[in-house]
Amino acid sequence: MKALAGLRVIDLTQAMAAPFCTMNLADLGADVIKVEPPGEGEPTRRGSITRHGESATFLTINRGKRGLTADLKRPEGVEIVRKLARTADVFVQNYRPGVAARRGLGYEDLAAVNPRLIYCTISGFGSTGPYAARGGYDLIAQGMSGILSVTGDEDGAPAKAGVPLSDLAAGLFGVYGILVALESRERTGQGQHVDTSLLEAALALTVWESTEYWATGRAPGPLGSAHRLSAPYQALRASDGWFTVGTNSDRLFEALCRALGRPDLPRDPRFAGRVERLANRRALIPLLERTTSGAPRAHWLERLEREGVPSGPIASYAEALADPHALARGMVVDLVHPKAGPLKALGVPVKLSDTPGAVDRPAPLLGQDTAAILAELGYGAEEQQALRDRGIV
Amino acid sequence: MTALAGIRVLDQTQVMAGPFCTMLLADMGADVVKIEPPGGESMRGGELELAPGVSASFLAVNRNKRGIVLDLKRPEGVAVLKKLAATADVLVENYRPGVAARLGVDYATLAAENPRLVYCSISGFGQTGPYAGRGGFDLIAQGMSGIMSATGTEGGPPVKVGVPITDLGAGLFGLVGILAALRARRVTGRGQLVDTSLFEAGLALSAWEATEYWYTGENPRPLGTAHRLNAPYQAFRARDGWFTVGAANERLWPRFAALLGLEHLVTDPRFARPAPRLRNRADLQELVEAVTTGAPRAHWLALCEEAGIPAGPIYSVPEALGDPHALARGMVQEIEHPGVGRVKALGNPVKLSRSPATLRKNAPRLGEDTDAVLREAGYTTDALEVLRAAGAVR
Repeated sequence: MKALAGLRVIDLTQAMAAPFCTMNLADLGADVIKVEPPGEGEPTRRGSITRHGESATFLTINRGKRGLTADLKRPEGVEIVRKLARTADVFVQNYRPGVAARRGLGYEDLAAVNPRLIYCTISGFGSTGPYAARGGYDLIAQGMSGILSVTGDEDGAPAKAGVPLSDLAAGLFGVYGILVALESRERTGQGQHVDTSLLEAALALTVWESTEYWATGRAPGPLGSAHRLSAPYQALRASDGWFTVGTNSDRLFEALCRALGRPDLPRDPRFAGRVERLANRRALIPLLERTTSGAPRAHWLERLEREGVPSGPIASYAEALADPHALARGMVVDLVHPKAGPLKALGVPVKLSDTPGAVDRPAPLLGQDTAAILAELGYGAEEQQALRDRGIV
Repeated sequence: MTALAGIRVLDQTQVMAGPFCTMLLADMGADVVKIEPPGGESMRGGELELAPGVSASFLAVNRNKRGIVLDLKRPEGVAVLKKLAATADVLVENYRPGVAARLGVDYATLAAENPRLVYCSISGFGQTGPYAGRGGFDLIAQGMSGIMSATGTEGGPPVKVGVPITDLGAGLFGLVGILAALRARRVTGRGQLVDTSLFEAGLALSAWEATEYWYTGENPRPLGTAHRLNAPYQAFRARDGWFTVGAANERLWPRFAALLGLEHLVTDPRFARPAPRLRNRADLQELVEAVTTGAPRAHWLALCEEAGIPAGPIYSVPEALGDPHALARGMVQEIEHPGVGRVKALGNPVKLSRSPATLRKNAPRLGEDTDAVLREAGYTTDALEVLRAAGAVR
């Protein structure tokens, strides 16, 4: 059994944040039914990276889901979704606020037919507040949360987090809200509206940065790879590339200096304690790099590991995804898609010992499960054919 | 009523990933009891001191929790923890793998007494696999998961994501695992071990980048603010700073070009279709910035909003926290801390209509709730005195 077995989720989502939310639910065993418009499906099916005509991005975050098509611009299509919602535990959508209600699929509409339904909305800015109606993408949220202002070189042009972290975090916060609401439902018998957004998710990730600002009155800036409050905790140059070291205590700094063959440095008053090392980071790093740039990173990583100093390579994705530890932890999974063929997928990052999650089916073909799901809802063969003939499913 | 009222969580965590996980449980009403060693956890001595011994960093991730002090190096301290674990729903720890077993408070030991316990371990690399024994910080995990290789500017020095994304991600995945395990427990009657790590969180957050690598065979590179697959979706320079625009699709791109007075670019073969637009992004940026640097960012943002094009300023942290929308969504809260006064705190990003998150109390003072928690567990005044005299609790 998987942890969320028996949980039915209706997924009216597109692009990244909300599909990532429902993907995580599917990985843990929920029956996620993705509803897409007939014909072309959701926009991510037309991604620019494809294999045998199937969009890579779509396949990535829709694995493990079942697929249904229904034209929500027509009342019969909306009726199918309302019927589904009656049988569901969770409903997730990421339209701009207001759009679902116009179609008769707002929280109030569906709670009226299923008061136990947990209805999750994930949007750019949330369902309320002055920017509620605005469209928002990951980049916009990274910019408006302050994350862009603390990422990048100290004096360079702005850089965003290389991964779309406001999208991903909004998806994860959505999972959290949904699971918390399910727990609440066990006691109250009632569902509720769970509302989160890319902007709020990004703000919630600025724990250290907001704290620093509130405590000091200073705006934190970008520091390249360095840490705001510890040094040395950053990338160092080797003869053949870069590696990272993290020291946040005198003990680890001494171990680092032993690994680099510079036992003199901890005795230097500029580097004697945490406060001094942070204040004199600009003097310390060139001293360390004078040593580290003289040998390849493998040499240093081996010595650092021996001394117990947290450290590692700066891996490319080719390296990261082939790393023996990543493989041992099941982070790379093989799937076979009926059209795209053999695929690789990321594994489940959280391991449950008794009811583990798993990635065991690829993303659905457009409308792959329409007939099965309509039959589950009680649509007879003739009714289904009529819906199909009229292009509703 | 809060959503997680009645759920008892023992929190043996330090620094960031674990405390962030348990804070999100506490926000939703779980009774989170933070267990600290006699000297307090290391973050209490953090640099951002608001008052002697009160670190802002500690407050930031430990609100809504109760606090007790147990010396787990003494058998009496371990016995207290076991007694607390016998009635708890969840335990979260982020020691290096092996430490909990050495202390005699690992999953197998505690589950023998309380099979319903959900035990979550958050570490650098997870409890198994070749690097399990290594220490791992956010920076190390950002480097090893590939995230750093895709962040920053092409050809520049390594850049990490400015917020500790693998710490935060591991906390969130831990949280998902805990809540899923609580749900499974309703069916199976059993708890289980939930095991996640900074390294795995970093990989899991690389969904797009891993996909690009597997499908194209090319390593994703750092691109500044730009998108890997679409253009224009990036920061542009205005006269007085930068702003972001996402106008890559076939509906928004012509509107953006029109707003800049660059309608002719829509039919220019370099920019007419998504693929050439991505290829010619450098040219496009130059043409766009020739226009945008002529006026302040507020001007361009107003035009984008009017045209329905997603766009926004690049805020400093103070600007972000002062934005009217952030305030309207309750993302900035205030709470009283004894001896410090009003302290600001981030709000919870998830809004529940019926059982919302609440900010009930600030982070505990060291050992603030030792008496109360131990009395609830059945310790008498005499028994508490004995434990205190032995140095097992404070």
